[in-house]
Amino acid sequence: MNEQMSLAAGHVPDPAVLALLGVAVLLAVAEGMAAFRRPRSAVPRRISAALLGLRLLALAALLSVVFELTLRIEQVSPSGRRLVVLVDHSASMALADGTTPEATPEARIDRLRAAWQASADARVGWRDDGLTVEVRGFDLETHPMTGDRAETLAGEPDGAGSDLARALSELGQPEADRAPLAGVVVLSDGLVAEDDATAAHVDAVGQGLQVPITTLSAGAPFIRDVSVAQIRAGEFAFVENVAEIEATLVAHGLAGTATTVLLRRDGEEVASRRVELGTDGVPTPVRFEVAPDRVGQFVYEVVVPAQPNEATVANNARAFVIKVLRDKVRVLHVAGRPDWDVRALRTLLRRDPNVELLSYYILRGLDDIGREDTTAALSLIPFPTDELFEEELGSFDLVILHNFDAVQHQVEQYLDNIARYVEEGGALVLIGGDLAFTDLGYGLPELANLLPVDSRIRSRLTHEPFRPRVTDAGRRHPITAWLAAAEGGWGQLPALSNYNPLSPNPRSDVIGAASLLVHPEATDARGHPRPILGVSEPGRGRALVLATGSTWQLGFAPDLPLIDGARPYDLLWLGAVRWLLRDDSSGRLTLETDKPRYRVGEAVELSAKTWSASYAAEPGIEVEWALRPLGTGPDGQPPAPLHEGQWTTDGLGRARQVLEFLPVGAYVAQARRELGAPAAGEIGEGSEAEGLDAPEVRRVFIVEPPGRELARIDADPGIARLAALAEATGGEALSAADGDTLPRRIPLAPLRSAREGQRVDARTDVPLWNGWLALLLLVTSFGGEWLLRRRQGEV
Amino acid sequence: MRPTDLERRALLMGMGAVALAPAASLARSREPSPAAPVPAAPPDDWPGFAPGPGSPFGGGADPFGMPGGGADSSTITIDLPQLRYEGSWNPRPGAMRVLARELRLRTRLEPVLEPGEVAAASSAELFATPFLYVAGQGELPPLGPGGEEALRRFIDLGGLIVFDAADGGTDPGFVRDVKALLGRISPASEVAPVGRDHVLYRSFYLIDSPMGRTRTHDHVLGVQDEGRLRALVMRNDLGGALAETNDGLPAYPCTPGGHVQREWAIRFGVNILLYATCTDYKADRAHVETLLRSRRWR
Repeated sequence: MNEQMSLAAGHVPDPAVLALLGVAVLLAVAEGMAAFRRPRSAVPRRISAALLGLRLLALAALLSVVFELTLRIEQVSPSGRRLVVLVDHSASMALADGTTPEATPEARIDRLRAAWQASADARVGWRDDGLTVEVRGFDLETHPMTGDRAETLAGEPDGAGSDLARALSELGQPEADRAPLAGVVVLSDGLVAEDDATAAHVDAVGQGLQVPITTLSAGAPFIRDVSVAQIRAGEFAFVENVAEIEATLVAHGLAGTATTVLLRRDGEEVASRRVELGTDGVPTPVRFEVAPDRVGQFVYEVVVPAQPNEATVANNARAFVIKVLRDKVRVLHVAGRPDWDVRALRTLLRRDPNVELLSYYILRGLDDIGREDTTAALSLIPFPTDELFEEELGSFDLVILHNFDAVQHQVEQYLDNIARYVEEGGALVLIGGDLAFTDLGYGLPELANLLPVDSRIRSRLTHEPFRPRVTDAGRRHPITAWLAAAEGGWGQLPALSNYNPLSPNPRSDVIGAASLLVHPEATDARGHPRPILGVSEPGRGRALVLATGSTWQLGFAPDLPLIDGARPYDLLWLGAVRWLLRDDSSGRLTLETDKPRYRVGEAVELSAKTWSASYAAEPGIEVEWALRPLGTGPDGQPPAPLHEGQWTTDGLGRARQVLEFLPVGAYVAQARRELGAPAAGEIGEGSEAEGLDAPEVRRVFIVEPPGRELARIDADPGIARLAALAEATGGEALSAADGDTLPRRIPLAPLRSAREGQRVDARTDVPLWNGWLALLLLVTSFGGEWLLRRRQGEV
Repeated sequence: MRPTDLERRALLMGMGAVALAPAASLARSREPSPAAPVPAAPPDDWPGFAPGPGSPFGGGADPFGMPGGGADSSTITIDLPQLRYEGSWNPRPGAMRVLARELRLRTRLEPVLEPGEVAAASSAELFATPFLYVAGQGELPPLGPGGEEALRRFIDLGGLIVFDAADGGTDPGFVRDVKALLGRISPASEVAPVGRDHVLYRSFYLIDSPMGRTRTHDHVLGVQDEGRLRALVMRNDLGGALAETNDGLPAYPCTPGGHVQREWAIRFGVNILLYATCTDYKADRAHVETLLRSRRWR
């Protein structure tokens, strides 16, 4: 500790006064000097010197009073200029690599720790030089490291990214009571920038600190790893349309290795590709073509199996969300005879812009052909049975056979195809009439087993007016629930005018069959009500039988009631088509997230809406909801919910929930509502049936880290990055893999002032102007000079 | 007459069965034979063609006449109702009966033997069938507010009204009143010529011109809504070409084309009903091949 003295002025006069004072002082000094030099025989030399001395003393006393001078005595010691050490704690620091292909891989953080320990003497020397060494860890944020953590660089490197630019910019912000920054040391693998723009930003921030940045890179050239570096996939895909997914693999140390890349959907494998991994760092593209088989939102994942001795498997998979929409619905409408019912259904289907309708109506029979004038120019075309029911059957989303006599037109040979089409996910509608169900064409066992009615028995059309009764199952089913909810039920609707007397399929329980509408009085031999509208869900498909050719009357009547603004005919058929095609909106509950992927830290918004049977918004409905990680737990069961609760929908049938602080991962949000119990006393026809729409919906989404920390893990670019930063700032670029340690003489910024680098430990101020001494000096010096001059006769 | 018709029917059915046995496996309609080109419209001079009575192409009773026209009690039949009103509502008696017969003979449509009548536009019977035939001559008297409202609702719900002027183009009175009526019940759509490319002209037969008892006008008028015909105005007296005497002979001569012109009128009538039941089905044809090949196999 040293003592320093200095004079401090407590008052500085105005510049004008200061100038006048200066002039006066100079004149006084000049006159005194002149008098001293002038030879005077009457004044001894010692008297002249005394006069000059008194003049100067008087001027000094005067100035000390004018400037309020204070003697400052300080006890100083060398200062704490700061040296900040930034330690990378991102996940890439946990990767193990080696200096040679044969070397045992060593985790980068371990390599850094070893270099840090080896630099212990250098660090002690820094402190001896008066530097304050401050250690901070950084990933996406910075955090101080003190005590043992700073000494050993303890702590698991698991950060989601390396935001070096942010860590450096924090150093440039002024901090009160902190010693000035003299230098920075960065301990990292250098994987701190995803692209050139980010790298340039890091350099700019570093140079802006105006201190040298010494870097110690932790990476080594040889690593064994394969990562899914990039995914190219559309946000949307269409059912039964090919969607392309392209993944880019980047491998190191695995050149020529063959592996099978998997594509999973919601955890289940849907495709795989055998690939040979490329040379280090060279991207290997892998393409998948998938044709989603159903609408919905799905989490897809590209997965590369773990390779032996791979540095990390955390980058072997990458997930993304695809929403599968329905493209235009392709409907095949085949009618055995033109009539008003065919017209009504065609008009409805043609009106929907989302329907691609392919129609074949039998306009004349074999007997008509025999009577026809062969010269007549007809617009008729052949009925391409082979093409429709064999080659292209699978391309249709919905097949409608409308009052169609299959045997008459040699279609019965294709009925097994149609049955298989339904079992594999197709939708089939059979509409009755005078031609349907009369030729046993639908009696083929393969098809008969799938239908909700017994088609093995001829059923001749009966003409009589009647109003169907809605069954217990029909009250809940989305196709007919609106009827139960409508005031007056079917009583207010026009009567139907014909029906095919059919029986329920004896295997209803096997195929999830149910009668939704039945004849109010007619029963079969076993006492079952005659089904008018029946549904079944055989295999993965759905089938509907409408045992009447007169539903067109629900859309054409003098006092036709509108239900929620729609004609009953439209409600019936649009509901039927939606159910047949498994349209999400056919449910009574919808659930959405505001987007399919989020960055970690972003709030996730769930919104639900409930619908009545006639698809109007339904308020006051209780909805149970839960959020779970996507996938299965160790026991094969869905994981426990992370969040759950219950909503009550508002006046517009809506409910909302915001979820925050979700960690990285894939999630599924589920919501469920009740549809209400059947009325007491109702016979539950079909209530035991399976396949009624479950009132639960799900939405998947992904929470991602803000960057792709482990997408590219090659250390070489990182080493170059750090070297460039050191060179740009005047620091030193070191490599732990080369055995470098931190230098004793760390590059530091030069001192900007003499006092920079010193610390004042104590200070004492002695005022020179306001004590009795100053007054004594003033009087003595001015008075003494006057008296002496007077004695010499100069006054 | 009936025994003769029965024998003829049996003979033709037998012949048809033999002739069509090879074709039965195809179950398809035949395309026009390129070896026998057919004019799109009959020539003005075709004197050699004189179909006799009983011929399907020369009028006369249903040669296959049977109760029900071959249909049994389970058959879904369609009616071709005609509107009755105060005035000359039925200038061509039996026209719809003949059209019904021709439809049964030529197509798979099964009209009733005796088309019905709608007593008044305001009656509930109007909505029993989404098709209405309105014939007239000289004028169309007011149908009253209830009647017009019912007709408005009729076409709004998807019904088709065919107005047939028995004057054949000599007296514009009926058509004038029809246009005024349509202007009131369908004010958003104007009465305009129906283009030759409309599917009406190819819904069953390929036709170039809408013929009736006369050929005064080479087009029909219509009220369309997004391509769907809501009303059709026939000015060439279609009913006059269809109507028959009690003996089954044509009641009115068709000028200038005679029997050939009658055949074309019948074809146009067939097209109207095929359009009424199948709407724009025949407009799908142009896209068939594209539709069949545009999608991936399930």
